[in-house]
Amino acid sequence: MPLRVSKKKEAIKHAMLWFVLLLAFFPLLLMFVVSFKNNDQFMNNPWWFDAVSDWQWENWAKAWGIVSNYIANSVVVAVAAVTLCLVMAVPTAYVMARYKFPGKGVLYYALVGSMFLPGTAATLVTMFMLIRSLGLVNNLLALILVGSVGGQIVSVFILRQFIEDIPKELFESARIDGAGHFGQIRNIVLPMSGSVLGTLAIMQFLGSWNSLMLPLLVLRDDELWTIPVGLMALDGEYVKQWGDMMAGFSIAALPLVILFFFTMRFFVKGLTAGAVKG
Amino acid sequence: MASELIEHNRLRSWLRHKGRMYMVLYALLLPTFLGMALFNYYPKFETIQKSFYIWDGSSIEEFSGLKNYIDIFTADPQFLNTFKLAGILLVANLFKMWPCIIIAIVLHRIRSERWRYIYRVLFVIPMVIPSLVWLLIWKSFYDPTSGILNRLLNTVGLMGVLQWLDTAMPQLATTLSPVNNTVGSIFGNIWGMGAWSLLVLASMGGAAAIRRRVPWLVILSVAFLCANAFVSNGEQIMLSIFGLFHGGVGIAVALAMGVVLSRSYAGESALKWIGGLGVAATVILIFTTMIWTSPTNAFNTGMPAWLGHSKLVIPAIIFWGFPWVGTIGVLIYLAGLQGISGDVYEAGELDGVGPIRKMFSLELPLIMTQVRINLIFMTIATLNQYGMFLLLLGPHGGPDNKGLVPGLYMYRKAFIDQQMGYACALGMVMFALILCITIFYQKYVKVEK
Repeated sequence: MPLRVSKKKEAIKHAMLWFVLLLAFFPLLLMFVVSFKNNDQFMNNPWWFDAVSDWQWENWAKAWGIVSNYIANSVVVAVAAVTLCLVMAVPTAYVMARYKFPGKGVLYYALVGSMFLPGTAATLVTMFMLIRSLGLVNNLLALILVGSVGGQIVSVFILRQFIEDIPKELFESARIDGAGHFGQIRNIVLPMSGSVLGTLAIMQFLGSWNSLMLPLLVLRDDELWTIPVGLMALDGEYVKQWGDMMAGFSIAALPLVILFFFTMRFFVKGLTAGAVKG
Repeated sequence: MASELIEHNRLRSWLRHKGRMYMVLYALLLPTFLGMALFNYYPKFETIQKSFYIWDGSSIEEFSGLKNYIDIFTADPQFLNTFKLAGILLVANLFKMWPCIIIAIVLHRIRSERWRYIYRVLFVIPMVIPSLVWLLIWKSFYDPTSGILNRLLNTVGLMGVLQWLDTAMPQLATTLSPVNNTVGSIFGNIWGMGAWSLLVLASMGGAAAIRRRVPWLVILSVAFLCANAFVSNGEQIMLSIFGLFHGGVGIAVALAMGVVLSRSYAGESALKWIGGLGVAATVILIFTTMIWTSPTNAFNTGMPAWLGHSKLVIPAIIFWGFPWVGTIGVLIYLAGLQGISGDVYEAGELDGVGPIRKMFSLELPLIMTQVRINLIFMTIATLNQYGMFLLLLGPHGGPDNKGLVPGLYMYRKAFIDQQMGYACALGMVMFALILCITIFYQKYVKVEK
């Protein structure tokens, strides 16, 4: 017996959600509105757009000149870190899922257990000293390496469970056909775990994209700054040009929003799956 | 003989084959574990080692034994103070968890599959905006002269209300201080009243229930004892034997009430009322007499500096990010809710259960696993976070160090004061605390199916 859907009740739920969404998106809307204003316009009316003819397009041009470089750095770091992370994690997960060998349990728990040993602000000290003694200060490579290692735990954990669920016969027949470990990884693991890899890639990418403290300590030169460091500097300017600043924020936010709209279905699925495992 | 030799050879070749196979496997594992050793374990273990040193990061480095740890607990009141702030933020975050849960449940109850998907997409979008962009936009909201918040408050007229409250709330606090004194003479202090009321609630259900909730009862009892036993004479805090005795009697009374009254239905509801009213009174008294006790004088100009006034920093930080719908939270709860089958809903529907009852009796118990995960992450994050405070308030935690959280204090000791060894010791204390809390949650925040 299908239940009658109460129109009124549904309307209440929708209204609640829209109300919360409106509040949640309000800062973004304001960012966009202010990005077209100069300081006077902002002081007069911060709430809504002025007439289109008064829009300060040069805010965006100016901000692009500053922020585009940060975006490029962030993209380089994030893409390299994600790639390196998965290149390291897939063979590890494959071995952990498929083979028994001495020390397996110890190694696995050493890996997953460190999830419960959170780093504190003090770990940042020793991490920074390590980077300094490796000669990687003021080098994007430091962020890539730390980022890719930071993603290992979750990636191996999730990938191992996934690879364990792939039927054993597939691996056996590939081996009889003469495929080695890399052959099996390339021909079986990679094609079958596309969606999991995508999910992991998104999670790691966002982590790298938002990382602030380490880049702040490691990167000295303006040309190497990633988005968070650059935005901080933009915010710290003595005389605030609100329009420029907000345009800079908008530009910094755009790449992922655009990417999101192209890969929406995948993104939502991936993040939900990530949330389940997380 | 011959067959034994063959057997032996076979064993050897088998072992060699196995050995080679293992070598290949270890080689495949190598990158991950090499990376982990270098960039994960090494910094963490280095923290342990350096916590026993006096170390400024470059030239000075000498072993000092337990000196750092002893200093933390005997000569560093500021560090212990930072945990007061962390405690306040933790309580605030407990409340800030609810919008997420409620929104996830409402979203899940939407009938139309299509709309559910649309909402899910909309709630994911904020996640792809760099978190620093949110942070800096909110920071601009709080700007005293051109910030949106002050202008909104002035336009709507709430600034006037705040000005009025600024005189009314301290007055209320003085008016209620006799009540406070009465509470103090019975329960030690306000917190004691809260602990005692919760003790009554926890002992509801008689001896069997008490046995089941031993850890909780111990915590509440200790809290109640502390509230009674430590008396301040204005300058220093002393242990009072009478207070200890008083507290013991209070605990005994609460437990005895729990055992005796739980035998009858009327007694049980009486317990519920006593406990509930006690908790409510505690909350009201805390809000009216402990927070806004003296005028801030910040609202008179109509342009309060939210992040620059020592009395407004904490409220500003708590209000931060309103309406507190962290999207990852919504997604985690949604994933948990997706496990609920339609049958359960229809059963609930036919029984005519109201929407709020349904939330507490049906959906909330089913997502307790997710709530617990979030609780753990939230606690760790609250204790550990400092990036936001560093950006907003600077390394000293803003006016009067009001916004100095433990992590920020650690950061300051390390990178501003150059006491890196000391910072490592602070990190170890923090680490031990986080570990204890995680274990506590795992063990005692039960998932009752």
